[in-house]
Amino acid sequence: MKADVFLPQIARIDAVRDETPDTKTFTLRFREPEDAEAFRFLPGQFVELSVFGFGEAPFCIASSPTRPGAFETTIRRTGMLTDALHQLGPGAEVGIRGPFGNGFDVEGAYGKDLLFVAGGIGLPPLRSLIWNVLDKRDRFRNVTILYGARTPVDLVYKDELEEWTATASVEFHVTVDNSLPGWTGNVGMVPVLFTKTTLRPESTLAYVCGPPIMIKFVVQDLFMRGFQDESVISTLERMMQCGIGKCNHCAIDHRYVCRDGPVFNFKQIRELVE
Amino acid sequence: MLSVPTTCPYCGCGCGFFLVARDGGLVGVTPSQTHPVAEGKICSRGWNAHEAPLWGSRVLRPMVRRDGNLETVSWDVALDYVETRLRDLIDAGKPIAVLGSPRATNEENYLAGRLARAGLGTNHVDFCYHSLCRPLLAGIEDVTGDSSHSICLSDVESSQTIVLVEGDLAKTHPRAASSVLKALGRGARLIAIGCARTRMARLASCFLQTAPGCEGDALNGLLAAASRAEQAAAPYAGLDSLRRELADVNPTDEMRAAAEWLGAERAVFLIGPTGGPAHQLRGAAAALASLAAITGHLGRTGSGLLPLLARSNSRGACDMGMAPDRLPGYGRIDDPEVQERLERVWGKPAPTGRGLDAGSMLESVSGLIVLADDPAAALPAGGRARAAMERMEFLVVLDSFVTPAVKAAHAVLPVASYAETEGTFTNMEGRVQRVRPTAAPPGEARDGWRALAELCARFGAGETWSSATEVFKEIAQAAPRYAMAMPRIADGGWGSALIERPERAHFTLQAAPAKAASPTERPYILALDGAFEWGDDPLVSFSPTLSREYQSARKLFPNGFVEMNSEDADTLGVREGWRVKLSSAHGEVIVPIRRRKDLSRGALVAPYGFRDCLSNVLREDGVAAVNMERA
Amino acid sequence: MQPLVLTIRKRDAGEWLAKLLDKGEVLAPVAGPCGEVIFATVDAPEQVLWDFENPLSPPKEFVLPQTDPIVRIRLNGQGTEVAPIYDCKPRFLFNLRPCDAKGIAFLTCMHEMDPPDASYLRRAANLTAITLACNTPCKMGFCVCSESGPFQSGGYDVQLTDLGEKYLAEIGSEKGEAALADAAELFEPATEEEATRRKDLEEEAKQRFGEETCHFASAMRRISTKRVDDGLWEAMAEWCLECGGCNFICPTCYCFSVRDRGGDGAWTRCRVWDSCQYAAFTLEASGHNPRAQQKERMKRRFFHKVSAQYYLRDGVAGCVGCGRCIKVCLGATDMPAVVAAIRKRVWHEG
Repeated sequence: MKADVFLPQIARIDAVRDETPDTKTFTLRFREPEDAEAFRFLPGQFVELSVFGFGEAPFCIASSPTRPGAFETTIRRTGMLTDALHQLGPGAEVGIRGPFGNGFDVEGAYGKDLLFVAGGIGLPPLRSLIWNVLDKRDRFRNVTILYGARTPVDLVYKDELEEWTATASVEFHVTVDNSLPGWTGNVGMVPVLFTKTTLRPESTLAYVCGPPIMIKFVVQDLFMRGFQDESVISTLERMMQCGIGKCNHCAIDHRYVCRDGPVFNFKQIRELVE
Repeated sequence: MLSVPTTCPYCGCGCGFFLVARDGGLVGVTPSQTHPVAEGKICSRGWNAHEAPLWGSRVLRPMVRRDGNLETVSWDVALDYVETRLRDLIDAGKPIAVLGSPRATNEENYLAGRLARAGLGTNHVDFCYHSLCRPLLAGIEDVTGDSSHSICLSDVESSQTIVLVEGDLAKTHPRAASSVLKALGRGARLIAIGCARTRMARLASCFLQTAPGCEGDALNGLLAAASRAEQAAAPYAGLDSLRRELADVNPTDEMRAAAEWLGAERAVFLIGPTGGPAHQLRGAAAALASLAAITGHLGRTGSGLLPLLARSNSRGACDMGMAPDRLPGYGRIDDPEVQERLERVWGKPAPTGRGLDAGSMLESVSGLIVLADDPAAALPAGGRARAAMERMEFLVVLDSFVTPAVKAAHAVLPVASYAETEGTFTNMEGRVQRVRPTAAPPGEARDGWRALAELCARFGAGETWSSATEVFKEIAQAAPRYAMAMPRIADGGWGSALIERPERAHFTLQAAPAKAASPTERPYILALDGAFEWGDDPLVSFSPTLSREYQSARKLFPNGFVEMNSEDADTLGVREGWRVKLSSAHGEVIVPIRRRKDLSRGALVAPYGFRDCLSNVLREDGVAAVNMERA
Repeated sequence: MQPLVLTIRKRDAGEWLAKLLDKGEVLAPVAGPCGEVIFATVDAPEQVLWDFENPLSPPKEFVLPQTDPIVRIRLNGQGTEVAPIYDCKPRFLFNLRPCDAKGIAFLTCMHEMDPPDASYLRRAANLTAITLACNTPCKMGFCVCSESGPFQSGGYDVQLTDLGEKYLAEIGSEKGEAALADAAELFEPATEEEATRRKDLEEEAKQRFGEETCHFASAMRRISTKRVDDGLWEAMAEWCLECGGCNFICPTCYCFSVRDRGGDGAWTRCRVWDSCQYAAFTLEASGHNPRAQQKERMKRRFFHKVSAQYYLRDGVAGCVGCGRCIKVCLGATDMPAVVAAIRKRVWHEG
C-alpha cells in the first residue's frame, strides 16, 4: 500500500469468467511489477476497485494469498459502476486500492474442524479462505462446505463446485431454493444441508456468508446446535468508501467495518449494538 | 479564495449563503448569520448547492442539429440559425411558444417573456411548474383579489397558531419547517392537514388526516367551526352565505377546538401543493384564505397567508408574466391598465388573446423555446410532453445542464448556471434577492439574460441592457411592485427586498368544493405526491451528495412504485416490493408497492417522478379512485 | 524545546503580519461580505480583525476543503496514469480561537491515525496556527466544558493573549518559533508581571461564561453504556431537519465521500464533505440502509462525539465547545440541548 492512501494502483483484467447471468469473476494483475510484488493480502480482505469515470467500490478478494500473481474478485452487476465493469474485457485497466480490512484468522483455525456455509453471492469472500485452507490442507481437520443459491443458474464457481464434490479432502453439499429441469441435487434453503452432515460444535469454526436473512436463519440454527458465539464468524456489510477508517460511512460503535472488519465473530457482532 | 453572497437555487424559502470558490473553481458553501431569511442556517440542499454546477454535465458550447446530430457551432452561427428557423415559422403562420423556468432568474424570465410577446407576437408563454402552483395562487386570488398575499418566515416563527396544509414541509421547505419548530418551541399551536403523518403532522397540536387531495374537507370543517363561532371576525359580506354553504358540514370536536386557536393575535396559514386535481387545490387555497379572513388574520401585521411555492423562483416566474394570460406584474392580459403600461415600457402593445398553457402548447405549436427546464420531467403529462418535443418542428433550449430537453433540441444555447450569473430570484415570501456569480461560466456559456437579449434584439424587441441591473430597472417599470426593490438590489449587501404587499379589506369568502364520493368498488385513492420531486431536476440529479437516495429508489424500482399504508398492506397480504394491480375508471396497471406507516389508510401515493408508469390509471388530474388486488 | 514567552506591542503586530504575508498565505478573520466575519485570505495586515465574534464558519476548510482534489487520473492513450495532488502551500492561520485550534489539532490526530492520510497531513504540516486566546468568552461557547478554551494550555504553535497594549506570545512549537523568526526584533521576552497577567486573564475569562453549558460527563456515561432510552432519541430526532449543518460547521467533524469528477479520459478524485445525518450516508448498493431512521443517525452522531469509547481511542473529546451547532441548527438539536436531554432524561423542545 502506498503512502497516498487514495492513490489507486493500476491493474489489468487478465480474464473474465461468467458465473451467472449477472455475476462475473475478474482475474486482475497489477500493471507495475513492484505493485504486484508488494501486494500481500489475507483471505477475507477487500479492495476498493475503481472503474475510471464511474467511481470506486469495495469488493472482496475471492482468491487466496497462497496463489500469488493475479488475484480474483467476483462481482454482481447492481448499478452503474458494476455495469461499466461488466463491459470491460481482458486488457482493460482498473484502479485498485488496498488490501483493506482484517481478514480471516487463518492460523487461529489450525487444528480445527471448519464449516463453511455460504448463500448465493456470499461464497466469493469465503472462497479466498477455502482455497487457502485447501492449499494447506494438512493444517486443518474436517472441512465441510455447505452452499446454496436461489436456482441452479445462480450458483457461482460451478466448475469448482464439481471439484469439491469429487474430492475427498472436503465434504461438500449444495442446494437450491428453487429447482430447474435437470437439477438432481438438494432442494431447499441452506439450513436443510445441516441434516446431510455431522456437525461438531465443540471443535468447529463456522464461517457464514450470504444475504442477511440467510445468515440470520443459519446462525440461529448453529446456536441451537450448540455453537458458541466466538466460533461463528461472518463478514459485515456496510457502505465503505475510504477503506481506511476515516470517512465514517462504515462506522458501527467505535469500530470500522473496513478496519476492524469486515470479518467478525458473533460475540463481537453482539457487542456492536448501535 | 472567494466568498460570494448569493441566493439558494432550490426551494421557495430563498435562503442566502456564501458560495465559495478557490482558484476560480467552486469549492463549497458557507452560511451567513446576517441573511434575513437564513440567519446562519442552510438545509441539506443548500449546503451542497455548489455540487450541481461543479459536477454536473454542463452545456459548454452552442450546438445545432445537422443530419440528426448536435454539432458545436459558434454563438453567431447558432443565433443566426435560431433566428432563421423562427422567422420561417412566423412567415408560414406556424405558432411558436416560450417556456420560462422557476430555476431561471427574473431577468431571464422577463426577457423570455419580452421575446415572446414583443418579439414573436405570441401569448403562448408559460412555465412547466406553473400548473402545480397556479391553483394555489388562483385560490388566494379568488378570495383576496390578489395572489401576492404572503407573510414572511419570521412571521411564522413568531406566530401563535399555524395552519399548515402540506405535502411534507420538512422535506419541501426545510427553512419554513424550522420556523414552525421555533414557533412550537415558544408554545405555538400547529394544525396540520395532509394525507401523511409527516414530521410536522407528528408534532402538530391537531392533525387532521385526509385522503390525498381532500384537504378541502378538513378546511371546510375548520371554516364551519370558525364561521359559527362567536368570535368570527368583522362581518364580511358573504359570511352568511358561507355559513349556508357549510350548513351540512359537521366539524368534529377536534376541529372546533382547533378553530378556537385561531382567535390568537397572530396566526399564519401555510399551503403547499398536495396531491390532487387543480380545482381541488384551488378550492382548498380559497378555503384557507377564507379561514384567515373570517378569523381576522388578513391584513393584520404578523398574520396571514404563505403559499408554499416549491422552486426558488416560481414566484418570480409568475411575476415576470410567464403565463398565457398574465403579463409582467402578474396582471391579466385583458386589463387595459396593464396593457398600457407594457406598451409604454416595450414601445409596442402586447398581444391580446389568451395563449396556450404549458400542457397544451407542446402538442399545438411548431416552434418552442425552452429556458432552463425539461418539460418531460416537469409537466404532469410527462410522457406526452416527451413525444411532443420529439415531434416539434423547431426546438431551441437554453440551459446550463445537459437535460433530456437539451439532447432533443435542434439548437442549444449554453447559459451560465445560477452560480455563474447575475440576477434575482423572488422567493415565496415575495422577497426579491440577488444571485451573484462566484465562478466564470464554463466553456462558452453566457449569462442567460444576455443570450435572450440578443434574441430580443433580432426580433425587434431589444434594448441595450448593459447589465442584469439594467434589466431589473426595466422590470421595475413593467411590474411596479418590484420598483421598491430597486434601490436594495443595486446595493452591495444581501440586496434583499420584499415587494409591495397588496392592501385589501374586501374578501370574497369561499368554502372548498365538496368532492364526489368515492365509488365503493374503488375504495383506494391514488394520488401523485404533492411534494416537489427533486430526483429528476438537474440541481439534484447532478449533485453526487443529494442524488443518492433518488438514484437508489430508481435503481430498485425502475418502473416506479406506489406507497401504501402498512396496515392496508397487511390486510391485502403484500410485503415490501410485492406487486399489486390497480384499476381505475381509466385503466389498469401492475406496480410494486412500498409500505409506509405514516400514510392515511386507503391512500396510495406515487412519487411524481414515476407518474408516467401510472398513466394508465391516472390522468392529468393526478388523482384517481382505484381498486387494488394482489398481482 | 523551551516554552518561550514573548510580547509584541500592538502597533507592531501589523509589521509582523507583513512578514508573514511574505512567507505564505495568511488566513485570518476579516470583515467579509454583508457584514459577516469570515476567515479569508488576507492581502494586507489591516484586514486582520483582532476584536471580533468568532466566524460562524470554522477554519477547518483550510486543512479540509469542502471539495478537496486528491488524485489526478488520466488516460494517456497507452494506459491509465494516476498522480496524487499535493497542496504544500505554506499557510498561517492567524487569530483563530482556542476552540478552533483544538479542532484542527483533533483533525490532524484523526488523519495521522494508521494508515495516515498523506494528503491531509501535507496540508497540515505546512499550516502554522497562531491562536488568539479569549479574554471574553463568546456568547454561545461552552469550551470550558470540553477543556478546549478559553485559553489553551498546550498543543499550539503560538498563542497570543491581549494584554491591553501588548500581545503576549507563547511559542509552543518549532513552527511557532519559525513564525516569529523573521520579525524577531519586534518581540521581547515577557516580564513576570506580564506572564502573571496572562494567567489572571485566563482565570477571569473562565468566570465570564454565559448561559450555555454542556455537562458532558453523565451524557458520556449514558451514551457509552447504551443507557439512553430509544424513545428519547426518537423524540429528539423529530426536532432535527437533517440539514447536515452541524457536521459541516463543526471543527471536529470530518466525514467525507470520495468521488471522481471529470470525463473524457481525465478525472480528478475528490474528497467531499458528507454528513452522517443524511439518510443516504449509510445507504448500500443493495438498497439496504442500516440507519434508515433519523433517530439512528442522531444516535450515531452523538456516539461519535461524546462516547467514552471514542474518547479513549482518540485521547480527546469530539466537541470543542465552540457553540456553532447552536447557531446553525435548522431544528433544535444542538450539542448542549441533546446533552442536557440525555442528562435529564427528557427532551424539551425549542
